[in-house]
Amino acid sequence: MPPADPRAGAIYDLGYRAYDGPRLGRRAAVLSLYVFTLRAAFGIGRRPAAKVVPVLVTAFAFIPALIQLGVAALIGSRVEVVAPWNYLGFSEVPVALFCAGAAPEVFGRDLRYRTLALYFSRPLRRQDYALAKSAAFITALAVPTLGPLLLLVIGNGLASEDVPGYLAGHWRELPQSLAAGLLIAAVAGLGSLAIAVHAPRRAHATAAIAAWFLLTLPVAAIIVEVGGGAGRYAAWFSPFDLLYGAALAIFGREPGADSIQGAAGLPIATYLLLALLHAAAALALILRRFQRVQA
Amino acid sequence: MHVIETAALTRRFGAVTALDALDLAVPPGITGLVGANGAGKSTLIRILLGLLPPTAGAARVLGFDVAEDGPALRQFVGYMPEHDCLPGDVSATEFIAHLARVSGLPAAAARERTAETLRHVGLFEERYREIRGYSTGMKQRAKLAQALVHDPRLLFLDEPTNGLDPAGRDDMLDLVRRTGREFGISIVMASHLLGEIERVCDNVVVIDGGRLLRQGPIAEFTAATGTLAVEIEGDAGPLAAALEARGYPARREGRIILLPADGDAALDAIRDACADLGVGLVRLEHRRQALEDLFRAPQEAADAAR
Repeated sequence: MPPADPRAGAIYDLGYRAYDGPRLGRRAAVLSLYVFTLRAAFGIGRRPAAKVVPVLVTAFAFIPALIQLGVAALIGSRVEVVAPWNYLGFSEVPVALFCAGAAPEVFGRDLRYRTLALYFSRPLRRQDYALAKSAAFITALAVPTLGPLLLLVIGNGLASEDVPGYLAGHWRELPQSLAAGLLIAAVAGLGSLAIAVHAPRRAHATAAIAAWFLLTLPVAAIIVEVGGGAGRYAAWFSPFDLLYGAALAIFGREPGADSIQGAAGLPIATYLLLALLHAAAALALILRRFQRVQA
Repeated sequence: MHVIETAALTRRFGAVTALDALDLAVPPGITGLVGANGAGKSTLIRILLGLLPPTAGAARVLGFDVAEDGPALRQFVGYMPEHDCLPGDVSATEFIAHLARVSGLPAAAARERTAETLRHVGLFEERYREIRGYSTGMKQRAKLAQALVHDPRLLFLDEPTNGLDPAGRDDMLDLVRRTGREFGISIVMASHLLGEIERVCDNVVVIDGGRLLRQGPIAEFTAATGTLAVEIEGDAGPLAAALEARGYPARREGRIILLPADGDAALDAIRDACADLGVGLVRLEHRRQALEDLFRAPQEAADAAR
């Protein structure tokens, strides 16, 4: 019978020593996975080519805000064309591209390279894995969805002649921007991930996500236009129309008459409720996928 | 004290029974998990890691209940899967340091141990290269490194020599032996290659069709049934008959005669028989085919029953 402690009297060489330090457990495992996934979404720790697309697309998402701030500063105009509540209308394409480009990689790499076995044999549970990675992607997506809103709110405040007066009138826009930006990131992010984890190949995932965002826009517009009483509900099922409506609800704005939300005439609060439902359903799909996947 | 204990551990996949009421008690040291492909080795390892719930029965690894304490247990075990499992688009350092942190090591310790572990497996020079450029042997070493990086008490290796050439196989087995002997990490190594098990393991667990065939120290298996193989010039028939006449149950395998090795007397008998018959002895070797015999026995029994 060998001794109870097999380390007793072991010979160590310089290349390997036993580790007696702390083991931080499940919480540290989740945090590490979150950070690793967040870095990977922007290509940090990868070859330079992996950084180009996410960084460029993110930069594009900021351009409307920079133009608005620049114009306001140059001509001192009070005309607010680009605002936090309608910003999604200007950043749809970069947000869709970011999702289509980055979401398939979040879980796809681990499925493709069969890395799941290495994660699941470490101190976390399957749902921890899925939640940590989803949260990381939502955080990454919040850079293009929330970042420009914060830039606008802060920039407008700094540019105004009467900063205390501006703050008194507009302070609500900061929490409202936070809520809207994070909601857009959560719904668009979780929806993209739910599509990606069920697509057999990366290219399929990218195409399906792009279609979910961009093809549904004209389709919903047409159905609302010609569909009459039943057709107006189509405005709920295009993710960008849904999120645009949800942002209006968060900022307490009414839709313009020429917008799809205006044409559909549905209560604006329903967009917010349905957006939250969307996020919950997408998360449930992701969790179910990783509960079942073989590792 | 055992590192692994199971009681009536059973796993069914639909109508297929992958593990059938397994009672195991594995002591510390290097243990070979032997079985043909499909015998249930990988299923057993996945249950012991808490990756797959058992259908019935219980298992304790390092004192942790695998069904209840999976995350706590997995801080102290390492797992090297059989299949490719490394992403190609990161360097070994980047990825293994990340996995060390997922295993619960603080950042500084993770970096330090990643470098140490990569040196231990012989990948120190290549540690900043993307894994996609690695050879099969280097990938196997990187897979071993990720299993070792958090200094586990117990290591599960599933077919660690898969896909390696003979030299790479020797290197990997040597690494496994050193890891087990010098660092005192208990190892369970699954393999269908009996020679590998004999070379590095202290103990063996033999499973077949999901059932436990035998378990125990490897010495018990190999000592009991040594076999001598004799090859001569020309027809082996007369020599076999001569050995039978001297009281040795000789068995023929083509040109080769096999007989039990019971000490020097058998060697003397072969020498004398060859001298009497005037035949040239081409080869005389000690064959340790004990583990093969373990498989042959049930197979022959099954054939007989048919």
